[in-house]
Amino acid sequence: VEEQEEIRKKLELEKILDKAVDLGVSYADVRYQCYDYEVITVENKTLKSYSSRRLSGLGIRVAIKGAVGYASTSDLSRNSLEKTLENATKAAKSIKSEKQPFGETEINTADVKLPIKINPVDVSPEEKVSIALDANKSAWISDRIKSAITRLGLSNDFRLYISSEGTKVNVETTLVGLMHESVAKVNGVMERVPYSESVCAGFEFIKSTDWNSFTADISELAIQAASSKTPPPGTHPVVIDPEVFGVVLHEAFGHASEGDLVFTGDSVLQNKLGVQLASESVTVVDEGIVEGGYFYPFDDEGVKKKRTVIVENGVLKNYLCDRHSALQFGVESTGNGRAQDFENIPIVRQTNYYLQPRDYKLEELIENIDFGIYVREKGWTGGQVEPGMGTFTFGVGPSKVIRNGELAETVRGVVISGSILETLKTVDAVGKDLKMTTSVFGACGKGGQRATVGMGGPHVRVRKMTVGGR
Amino acid sequence: LEEGERMELAELAVKKALSMGATEAEAYIQRAKRVRVEFTEEIENMKTIESLGIALRVALGKKIAMYSTSIVDESEIGNVVAKAVKIAKVAPEDPHWENMNKKFGNAPAEGYYDETIGNLGHQEIVETLSSAVNRMKDYDARVKPTRGFLATSVSNVSIANSYNVSCERKETGIGVWMRTKAEDAGMKSTGSEHQQARFWKEINFEDLAEKAAEKSVKFLKAKPISSVKMSVIIRNQVFANILGVILSGPINADWVQKGRSPLANKLGTQIAPENISVVDDGVMYGGWRTKPFDEEGHPTQKTSVIENGVLKNYLYDTYTALKDNVESTGNAQRYYYWMNPQPSPNNLILKPGETSPEEIIRGTKKGTYIEETIGEWLSNPVSGNLNATITHGYLVENGELTEPIKGVVISGNFYELLKNGIEIVGNDSRNSMQNYSSTVKLTQLTIAGK
Repeated sequence: VEEQEEIRKKLELEKILDKAVDLGVSYADVRYQCYDYEVITVENKTLKSYSSRRLSGLGIRVAIKGAVGYASTSDLSRNSLEKTLENATKAAKSIKSEKQPFGETEINTADVKLPIKINPVDVSPEEKVSIALDANKSAWISDRIKSAITRLGLSNDFRLYISSEGTKVNVETTLVGLMHESVAKVNGVMERVPYSESVCAGFEFIKSTDWNSFTADISELAIQAASSKTPPPGTHPVVIDPEVFGVVLHEAFGHASEGDLVFTGDSVLQNKLGVQLASESVTVVDEGIVEGGYFYPFDDEGVKKKRTVIVENGVLKNYLCDRHSALQFGVESTGNGRAQDFENIPIVRQTNYYLQPRDYKLEELIENIDFGIYVREKGWTGGQVEPGMGTFTFGVGPSKVIRNGELAETVRGVVISGSILETLKTVDAVGKDLKMTTSVFGACGKGGQRATVGMGGPHVRVRKMTVGGR
Repeated sequence: LEEGERMELAELAVKKALSMGATEAEAYIQRAKRVRVEFTEEIENMKTIESLGIALRVALGKKIAMYSTSIVDESEIGNVVAKAVKIAKVAPEDPHWENMNKKFGNAPAEGYYDETIGNLGHQEIVETLSSAVNRMKDYDARVKPTRGFLATSVSNVSIANSYNVSCERKETGIGVWMRTKAEDAGMKSTGSEHQQARFWKEINFEDLAEKAAEKSVKFLKAKPISSVKMSVIIRNQVFANILGVILSGPINADWVQKGRSPLANKLGTQIAPENISVVDDGVMYGGWRTKPFDEEGHPTQKTSVIENGVLKNYLYDTYTALKDNVESTGNAQRYYYWMNPQPSPNNLILKPGETSPEEIIRGTKKGTYIEETIGEWLSNPVSGNLNATITHGYLVENGELTEPIKGVVISGNFYELLKNGIEIVGNDSRNSMQNYSSTVKLTQLTIAGK
């Protein structure tokens, strides 16, 4: 990737901004991006696909009063850039608005690159393929394994932002990871266990990890799950592992704390600032740079992503904001204006959203439960929420029954559901272990856009949760 | 790049790949122009995206690789080819690889391009959505529009491969989603509607707006119910989603060949009662994924999947078809241009019956009617475990919809349901993306409530 200075000069980005102002807009910004992504897929010991791609292009956002027009192109010729600007301006002009588009923010100049040793894009295809193949072969630990898929993924994302207000920021982030899924069949029951591990780092992370035992463990769990029963449906006390709690928090509470959903009344958290809505042991934070999470120092509006406290000891303190929603609340952007890529307008997104750890050990969380479920993430199948109501449903991985204060048998097909506000009120103990995760494979979807996020927390005990079995 | 130029570039890429040692090559170029307008309480923004991308797949004997980029011009083609060939060289041989698609051509598909969509002005699109937003506001003082969008797309696909054949098409699409919120005396609820179509005039924006508003008002008093087992009526679009989530994978030849499909080795067997038929129809007029050829250039067709309860066919692309020594069914799909083609339904249709949804309700003494769910895609197609949270539903008592309900979970096993659980298929077929279903009545499902 060329340096910021060179790209700016080559594409004459300042000129586009000047021309936009000449066309009568009150605000303009340009985002250039060059994104490399590779996924190597091995299925059942054979290389299924090696997909490598580059996405590069530019998007122009203009505002005329509160009307926002946007246009993007992957064709960077002079002609195309002029037409893109014209499209953005026409779009803004077709919308009637007397409001202001964005809240005030600081002017930034920055050039940040995640420190890495080996750029994964430059590693030979041969080396990458052989790591994925070896990992896949190690998953075939028994004839009960019917299928095994391994993916090695990597991305390098360079983003440049420049605005008519004078901000110039560029950020480069690298992400690598491996995901594996084993399907086991035991006595006619088939179970699928997917799991992945990704880190913001260079290829050195891939090289220094033992992926062979990683995939073998997943197969082991798939067999265990296929040999186990589903949990008794009903309401039970549960202990939730950091990864599940991280996703539930992100999906069911995090989205509801996103300012754009709040001001449109699409969130259960509207008009709740200052209200005690969770138990006192709950403190929730969104932060741009956290160990294990996604590296995100600046957002796609050139705003620095600082530490934002959403809930402090159970009391709702702040919403996540981009510049548009910040204006509605009369606050400053929290640096959460994120766009999937240059083809999209930034919207409010979480960065690294997590529950702050407290002081319980896992054994202490479990010891007082007569009958309950230890809800685990490994093998997670997905989830969905209605942020307007705060209701959620998640299919988690093979989990454990808790009986008389101890972990007992494995259960499969576990689905948890509930209302997030009730769930956070019934959190009665928070563990001391913080674990953050991110992913080069999956991303969080909202409004048709995907964003890589970090999620996490410690182990958490919830007094009652609806558990569906099948 | 104009239409002819894109094909020239695709053919150039193929030629270059062969000259650099590839034994086979395929270039896929996609150009898309998409417009999207979003609203919250009022129209918020509008965007226009022009995108172009090329995906080059090469084979060196049985070694396959693909490289793609959004930088599509003559000077870049050399780099694209070099990168793809370099990757192919290190790829291990795929023993099942035979060859790329050799059968190009157009099936008699119609109704996938609407000239109106490409000619819509910025102003017209904004005004159309704007009047729908106003309709929600005017419906009832308790209702507010909260979020939604109107998106249109015009896209062109050009495919060329080393078997000296090529094909091109252009298609259009329009999608709309609207959500409202109602508030009254401390009670809150939401209502939403969505539709996807090929033609601009197929969508009645004001009608959708009104239905979303009406739904949010009706559900103000919705409550959870206690756990029970009873018959369940599922609205057409909701069951279409379930059908897509559960069935699309297992009828995919790739899943079958890899041992992931619970429908493997079941061809010719009765897996459902005689009133159940499912087809995949790539040529139906105006279908969401109707097109004359698939994403490898193979002609599309209408394929019977389940006929009167008997499993008839799996869906194939070229690779999986050659592996089973059959003809491709024209189901090669690429979700994005940079993805490898793989089998996927074109338009997956549960064949409608003769009963209207009103009659189904009238004939139900005690049950639940499901209007909206979330989380149905969590269902597990491998085990058939079906799960969804009802966000909008009604109790059915003595043939009538009575109390609105929400926040309860339905669960069951799809394959058991398919075998003897679908009592009635209605006559009101409607789509949710590429999945088509009518309202159905299921005999018994568990509802996990309070």
